[in-house]
Amino acid sequence: MRNVASHEPLAALVAAHDSKRGLLIAFEGPEGSGKTTQRRLLKTWLQSEGHDVVTSRWASSRLVKPLIKARKRLRVLTAEEYSLLHAIDFRHRLDTVILPALWAGKTVIADRYLFTALARDAARGLELDWLLHMYAPLVWPDLVVYFALDPLDSSRRVAATRAPRFYESGQDVTGLADPLTSYRQFIDRVITEYENLSVIFHFVKVDADQVVYRQHRQVRQIVQAVARRPWPEFSVEAISEWLARHPHLAG
Amino acid sequence: MAREAPAPGRLIGVEGSRGADVAAEADALVKRLRARGVDAAISRWDASGLFAELLLGDAADVVLSPRMLALMYATDLVFRLRWEIQPALAHGRVVVAAPYVSTAIGVGIGVGLPEAWLREVLRFAPAAAITRPAKERKPDAGWQPKADRGFGEYCASVLGSTSPGFKRRAARAKAMAWLAEASPKTRRKEIVDGLAGYEHPAGKAEPSARAASQRT
Repeated sequence: MRNVASHEPLAALVAAHDSKRGLLIAFEGPEGSGKTTQRRLLKTWLQSEGHDVVTSRWASSRLVKPLIKARKRLRVLTAEEYSLLHAIDFRHRLDTVILPALWAGKTVIADRYLFTALARDAARGLELDWLLHMYAPLVWPDLVVYFALDPLDSSRRVAATRAPRFYESGQDVTGLADPLTSYRQFIDRVITEYENLSVIFHFVKVDADQVVYRQHRQVRQIVQAVARRPWPEFSVEAISEWLARHPHLAG
Repeated sequence: MAREAPAPGRLIGVEGSRGADVAAEADALVKRLRARGVDAAISRWDASGLFAELLLGDAADVVLSPRMLALMYATDLVFRLRWEIQPALAHGRVVVAAPYVSTAIGVGIGVGLPEAWLREVLRFAPAAAITRPAKERKPDAGWQPKADRGFGEYCASVLGSTSPGFKRRAARAKAMAWLAEASPKTRRKEIVDGLAGYEHPAGKAEPSARAASQRT
């Protein structure tokens, strides 16, 4: 097996495949911001326009999800374990769902991407630098749509349908017994992290306070305006590494 | 990010490319330490059960990359540090982590990962006070694809079936070369003699720490 850090010939192949590759669109935002609704609407619209669309939800890898679920139920995860398990899940989906679809020219809509981990785990007190290393090398999205919502609205929307779960409400870090009180405190930190990330990584913001159809119209316009460009260098490393393990695709 | 190894315990890392050799070295070391009156415990690979549990999934889904395997090692190590190593160290015991950080880096390099990335991912782990390389048996053989033997063997088992270019012998040779370069040649006798007079402060353990140290 070649060293995964050195794939120069494959990098040339990735560059040659640029015009055939699919688009990667990431939806980010706090709970209750309507990402899932917008993801479904966008998928339906893109399909009606003739695109082949694949979606990938956060922590949904068939292999890793049951392990995360079982450990979450026991409420024994440290911030590092929580973070690492999600990174494993992410990498499994990247290798088995996201990259194969992009390579085949399909559009991928990721309902939460790397930035969810960065925002949540940084809110749990982990270093951003360590988190970025854990997810490296990464396939960088062509577009990150951030559904912005303030902490109070997020809490209100979540509480309207259910009590937030233990880790979702950050009870592991706040130490508060009441899930909703904990959620209010925790989501405040998560949104602060999201806002910082949105500046650093140039998210396109959508006001999640608007009615659903207005948001969808805005999302359509944003997606239509996405310019096709070559994979960034960071992505080339990840794709080359993946291709090295799938020589039949590399030809 | 790195956790402080709490005083007054001593952390010994036993490192090697083959699971059986690492386990045998840890057992021999602890046996000798105990014979000299030192309270020593072993923390072994996959104490969290993560590696074993992952193989219980649908075989078609067990597609693991070298990066995933390294992240799994890190997750297991966080578990071992929290539930085995640190409570026992806090209780003043000698803990033999078999394997520890160097094995993860060596095996990771063997399966093609960059050293700098591995070091970054594992930087939460405190440095071992002493590192002891396990004697590598069958040095010319590749890793056996037996997932329950050790980290290297686990990698061989899952990568051998999903990564066409993976060569078990070459990967182990690379891991061994790195480990030989990186691990100090501390002799078992030196370690045992150095710790022979070591006494831990008795009775300071919390019940949870005592329970955790008994598991090892």
